[in-house]
Amino acid sequence: MALHRVFIKGTNDKVTLLQKFLNIVIAVAIFLLFFFFSAKRLNINFDFSFLWTFRYRLIKGFATTVELSLVSLILSLLLGFLSAMANNSRILAVSYFSKVYVQFFRGTPMIMQIYLFFYIVGTAWGVDNRFLAGVLILSLFEGAYIAEIIRGGIDSIEPTQLEAAKAVGLEARQTLRLIVLPQIIKRTLPALAGQFASIIKDSSLLSLISVIELTQTIREISASNFAIFESYIFLGLLYLSLTFPISLYTRYLEGKFSYEN
Amino acid sequence: MRIELVGVTKIFVDGKKVLDNICFGGDFKTLAIIGPSGGGKSTLLRILGGLISPTTGDVLLDGNKIIFDEKHLIQHRRQIGFVFQAKGLFNHLNAQQNVVLPLVNVHGYAKADAKEIADSLLDRFGLSADRHKFPNELSGGQQQRVAIVRAVAVKPKLLLLDEPTSALDPELTGEVLAMLNELRYDGLNIILVTHEMGFAKKACDKLMFIVNGRLTEYGDSERLFTRPHTPELASFLGRVLEWGI
Repeated sequence: MALHRVFIKGTNDKVTLLQKFLNIVIAVAIFLLFFFFSAKRLNINFDFSFLWTFRYRLIKGFATTVELSLVSLILSLLLGFLSAMANNSRILAVSYFSKVYVQFFRGTPMIMQIYLFFYIVGTAWGVDNRFLAGVLILSLFEGAYIAEIIRGGIDSIEPTQLEAAKAVGLEARQTLRLIVLPQIIKRTLPALAGQFASIIKDSSLLSLISVIELTQTIREISASNFAIFESYIFLGLLYLSLTFPISLYTRYLEGKFSYEN
Repeated sequence: MRIELVGVTKIFVDGKKVLDNICFGGDFKTLAIIGPSGGGKSTLLRILGGLISPTTGDVLLDGNKIIFDEKHLIQHRRQIGFVFQAKGLFNHLNAQQNVVLPLVNVHGYAKADAKEIADSLLDRFGLSADRHKFPNELSGGQQQRVAIVRAVAVKPKLLLLDEPTSALDPELTGEVLAMLNELRYDGLNIILVTHEMGFAKKACDKLMFIVNGRLTEYGDSERLFTRPHTPELASFLGRVLEWGI
């Protein structure tokens, strides 16, 4: 194999494992070198040793972020499903309520929603547990996106599928369980997995109302020792350790999806 | 099988009258419904299959009146096989699962028995190598053959097909029609809407000609092709047979 073949893919070639590995290393190296070169220009020397001192707080913050994201995932799935159902409701007020909800939460920045809901709605209804408030706001926000994903899944069911279900003699409930739901799940799973990665990242915004999750923990630590750069680099790595596997899984699901449908 | 239509009329919600007071009775083994596009052929077939209800009128199969409410229609559909023009297979199931699902979930077969029935039928119609393929991996002709297998696996008393070959190229059309011909020899009652005049003439004993929602002519297919009584059928045949069959 000629040397340039390692770096340049022929039109119909498959990328070999070796090619993949080498070129990923190169890409990551370029990325890191540029970053550290920039830091060098500013005479910043990185010292990560302090992290060990804060290990328990970091673990706790990390665990809180995971917990926050998981609970929000479940809640936002529920909200998204309900909203998608409501969107198709024949009761117009219900349908428009769902549309307004989706439009509002997708069309405004989350930072505004956090302040508005925590300080006005949260205070008015006595939600003073910040974790709970955070979960609710995050779920409302992500639920609007999930509603759109699920609605797209419902819309993608071809009418012939329902007609065929009817023709073979399935009852309405069987059609939902055996035909509609499996197809919706298969079609929306990649997008839903991707949305879970968004939930994890978006949960960092809850640091604004002092939910002691990962980002807030790092903010507190860096405020006390001024190791801002090291703190945030480490923060990025921790988020990546969560979102990267999800992104791989999403890719895998997409491949599987295109094969079967 | 005997079929009777008593004043069957279908008016769609947009006010369009698709079937206009069809009155008719006759016996058939294999019945082809032909006629120009948009004439109401598919609508009539869907009414026979219990997929839609007529606006007015009665339909009797072997003297039994079809009762057009959902509870009775489900029972009716279960005795009938229906094959659509295209895309009638369940996308998320492979060929074998498509055949197995109605057997298990509608007709109460044990899963193992259902698989056995599915495999033997798929095998009989040259599809055994494809039984684990999903619809999107099958050719159009294979999809239609699997759809027919799914429809006949439950031993229906009548098989309805809505233009089963109109989305296929000629070679694939041939393999689907050959399969239907074989089922015909098995003694299965078949009604199909088709544009395949060769099949309608040679393989179907009766022919029904529908224009603008009206049953314009009915009879032995041989006779309709050679001596059409109505000018509409004569001109229709003149047009579709211009290049021979």
